[in-house]
Amino acid sequence: MLLELNNIFKWVTQGGNRVFLLKHLDLAVEQGDFLSVMGPSGSGKSTLLHVLGMLDDFNEGEYYFQGEPVHGFRDKQRARFQKEHIGFVFQAYHLIDELTVYENIETPLLYQKVSSSERKALVADMLDRFGIVGKKDLFPAQLSGGQQQLVGVARALIGKPRLLLADEPTGNLNSRQSREIMELFQELNAEGTTIIQATHSETNAAYGSRTLHLLDGSWTSTPEP
Amino acid sequence: MIRNYLKIAWRNLGKNRVFSFINIFGLALGLASFLLISLYVTDELSYDRYNEFADRIYRVDSDIRMGGTDLSLSVTSDPMGETLKKEFPQVEEYVRIYASSGSKLIRHGAEFLQEDRVAHADSTLFKIFTLPVVAGRAEHALDAPNTVVISESAARRYFGDPQAAVGQDLETQDGDGTRYRVTAVFKDIPEQSHTDFDFFFSMDNVQYNWGNFASHNFNTYVLLRDPADAAGFPDKFEVIIEKYLSPLLRQFMNTDLESFRKSGNKIEYSLMPLTDIHLHSNRVSEFRPGGDIQNVYIFSLAALFVLVIACVNFMNLSTARSSGRAREVGIRKTLGSEKSALVGQFLIESILLAALALALAFGLCALALPWFNDISGKSLHLADLLRPGYLLFLLLLPFVVGTLAGLYPAFFLAAFNPIRVLKGHKKTGGAEPRFRSALVVFQFAASMILIIGTLVIYNQLEYIRHAKLGFNKEQVVVVDTGGIAEANREAFKNEVAALSSVSRASFAGYLPVANSSRNSTSFSTDPVSTETNVFNMQIWGTDYDYIPTLGMELLEGRNFSPEYGSDSLAIIINEKAAALMGVDNPVGKKLYSKSPDMEEPEVYTIIGMIRDFNFESLRENVGPLGLRLGRNNWEAAFRVLPGKIEQTLDDIEARYHELAPGMPFQYTFLDESFDQMYRQEQRMGQVALSFAALAILIACLGLFGLVTYVAEQRTKEIGIRKVLGASLGNILALLSRDFLKLVLIAFVIGSPLAWWAMHLWLQDFAYRAPIGIWVFAVTGGAALGIALLTVAFKAFRAALANPVNSLRTE
Repeated sequence: MLLELNNIFKWVTQGGNRVFLLKHLDLAVEQGDFLSVMGPSGSGKSTLLHVLGMLDDFNEGEYYFQGEPVHGFRDKQRARFQKEHIGFVFQAYHLIDELTVYENIETPLLYQKVSSSERKALVADMLDRFGIVGKKDLFPAQLSGGQQQLVGVARALIGKPRLLLADEPTGNLNSRQSREIMELFQELNAEGTTIIQATHSETNAAYGSRTLHLLDGSWTSTPEP
Repeated sequence: MIRNYLKIAWRNLGKNRVFSFINIFGLALGLASFLLISLYVTDELSYDRYNEFADRIYRVDSDIRMGGTDLSLSVTSDPMGETLKKEFPQVEEYVRIYASSGSKLIRHGAEFLQEDRVAHADSTLFKIFTLPVVAGRAEHALDAPNTVVISESAARRYFGDPQAAVGQDLETQDGDGTRYRVTAVFKDIPEQSHTDFDFFFSMDNVQYNWGNFASHNFNTYVLLRDPADAAGFPDKFEVIIEKYLSPLLRQFMNTDLESFRKSGNKIEYSLMPLTDIHLHSNRVSEFRPGGDIQNVYIFSLAALFVLVIACVNFMNLSTARSSGRAREVGIRKTLGSEKSALVGQFLIESILLAALALALAFGLCALALPWFNDISGKSLHLADLLRPGYLLFLLLLPFVVGTLAGLYPAFFLAAFNPIRVLKGHKKTGGAEPRFRSALVVFQFAASMILIIGTLVIYNQLEYIRHAKLGFNKEQVVVVDTGGIAEANREAFKNEVAALSSVSRASFAGYLPVANSSRNSTSFSTDPVSTETNVFNMQIWGTDYDYIPTLGMELLEGRNFSPEYGSDSLAIIINEKAAALMGVDNPVGKKLYSKSPDMEEPEVYTIIGMIRDFNFESLRENVGPLGLRLGRNNWEAAFRVLPGKIEQTLDDIEARYHELAPGMPFQYTFLDESFDQMYRQEQRMGQVALSFAALAILIACLGLFGLVTYVAEQRTKEIGIRKVLGASLGNILALLSRDFLKLVLIAFVIGSPLAWWAMHLWLQDFAYRAPIGIWVFAVTGGAALGIALLTVAFKAFRAALANPVNSLRTE
């Protein structure tokens, strides 16, 4: 078991009333899963990914990651766990505009205090693998959307995370670019990376090994491991 | 990691050129003024510290009050030093320096050069002050009469080579001319010294009535064996007064020490530490006007103010720009950056900016240094900044400033919630704009304090120069007649007086400006002086034309006149002297003066009273003054008709050279000499003005940056409002209102503070210009106007933009 959510609640208080973002949510994800989360806008997909990615708190429930109780972690512990085990891919890519492709991919390694020579080797491998060696000195603004997302994925994977979280990774891409990214995900999953993606698209969801539907912060059907 | 940060920082600089420029330039201005002032302050604080025994050297100061007149002297009696050494083992050595004889003319080839940095001293000079001898011998160098020790540069000037100077003679023009043998050459005394003389002549050549404890004329320095001994000297001086001054009181004033003191008189001596003299001592008979510790404080405070305003700018702009960096913070956090790493990153950025600003500040310093030297009266060099101690300070400066200015923005930025900022929420908590507002208020309040200070200083200067003048300083040329043989001076005066462009002429050895001669004598209102009827009064020797030439105003009685044969014992006093005598109209009253060597007192009859005028700085009250006929022909004053100054000067010079061939022709204008007295205040005014201008410039740079930011933030709002029908004026008002409110708050906070500070400053003056409401009105108006212009410039562009463009980008 890679991670497990037990009875997670998350809410915000608006005008004295609780508005539930996540409600009574259970989830179990095994090592090597490729899970697609679907649901309409506002159903809580992003919130769920943020909770799973340890970027956001929840109000009630338990979250175990590799058997460790994330709900009991302090901020520092959480940040350390996050940078060691989790990679993010965003719809809007979120590359740092002031850094080149090479530097963007390298950044997570800096936070993990990887030595300079090792960083060089790792980034070179990644550039090679994604076929963007020729673009390594360009800035994000000089790339197409598909290329930017490729860099985003490369950056998410450089730290060899156990879990890749992707929030609408192809939301800003055309269909050809989407297909390329999804095929890449499938490949990565086959190599053993656990992936959880949030998506609006049935086509993209189909790349996953299973799909769960979210509505108003709850599963529409009971999840099965 | 750091490389990554530096790269980001550098690329960010390039991306936001306007912001970067405002940030760096503003900080550079602040740093530049800080550097200049620290050069100035270091220089001021370094006075006399080159002396090896600086901590053990003290000057003996005298404080005397007689008949309601206070005298704070930097000199003491001639036997004081020797007596102290004899009576108290704590005194290792003493030296007297006598500089009252003024400048000397010294022969250089066929001509005479005027040397101003001359004094007489004892041989022990070399045992007390650190004066390395480069040629000759220091021991007993000045024991014999007609000996002189000279500085290395003087030796070069007169003999070409220091070694060649020893054993040679210098010929001076004292009276009939005297020759002095050079016995030693010393290394030039640093400029930062209050004793930076070029020539020390033998004390033996001073014509003086030696051994008189009652006459105070010698700057006397003692070298103590232990600096801690200084604490015991008040008691020791008491012993000296008992033993040596009491007998004199009994002999000449028929009183003893106790009743002398009981009637409000005093004689006190004190030790002044050598290193305090330059900044803390402003007594009568200082060798030269010293600095003022108050100026050091005010300068430092102003520099710190400007630096803090610049730092505040930096904080303000960095935080304002934060929305541009928010996304980066969010991404870094999802990539696993801890908050501390982000704080570190932003601190490194601001330190980098501070370092760039420092480099620019160096350039600005280099440009501003000649101007700064001019207004501060110093000769500072940029190279002084590169001395070892200073260099360390400079290396640390970007870190200190960068950290100070960057700490708040760093924490502010690092605290962003990654999810919110990545979702595109630009708005952050309400506390942040309030903090920025507080910073703007601070900047403007500080600027306004500086502006008000400047206005008050200038107003006071104007007031001083025109208030209570009592004489007419315009159109008067004062010629140094010292180079003309005594017998020919009268002829010279008469020849010049005969010129058609000269309306009045008078000898004028005593003038109501600084650096003129002074002569204080005690007078009593009864033939027998007692402690209650004695007062000290300036008594100036003048001639028949003195009062009309200087345009002084006779209130009672008459001027001296050759028609009255008895005028040699006539005296004209000022209002203050009459007040001390306790009479409204003193004409006809008598004054008595008795010096120690006289059997009977001299009796003077008062024939007139003149309006008070200031002959010392206006920091002091007008003292009592008496004019009598007397020898005073070392300077002559000529009142010249308007518009004829240049031609007249040529004519005077031609006559001077006829009578004094080879002598330098030297003259001053009375109004310029008068202004000299207020040089300090003028400098203060100029410095305050520059800092006020800088402060307001930096504050406006900051304001400009903030408005730019706000206009950008509100582009969409402005667009919607325009679509809804808002006019240009509406938009301008919308953007300006908030900032103008801040300036108003700053005014309300700054004005009372400024009033209070300047009120304190004015307490130093005996004559004060009131701080008028107009000062505040002008300052408030100016600040508001400048702020409005800055805001309007930017707001105008925002308001004129086509709303379609701003709305389409959403």
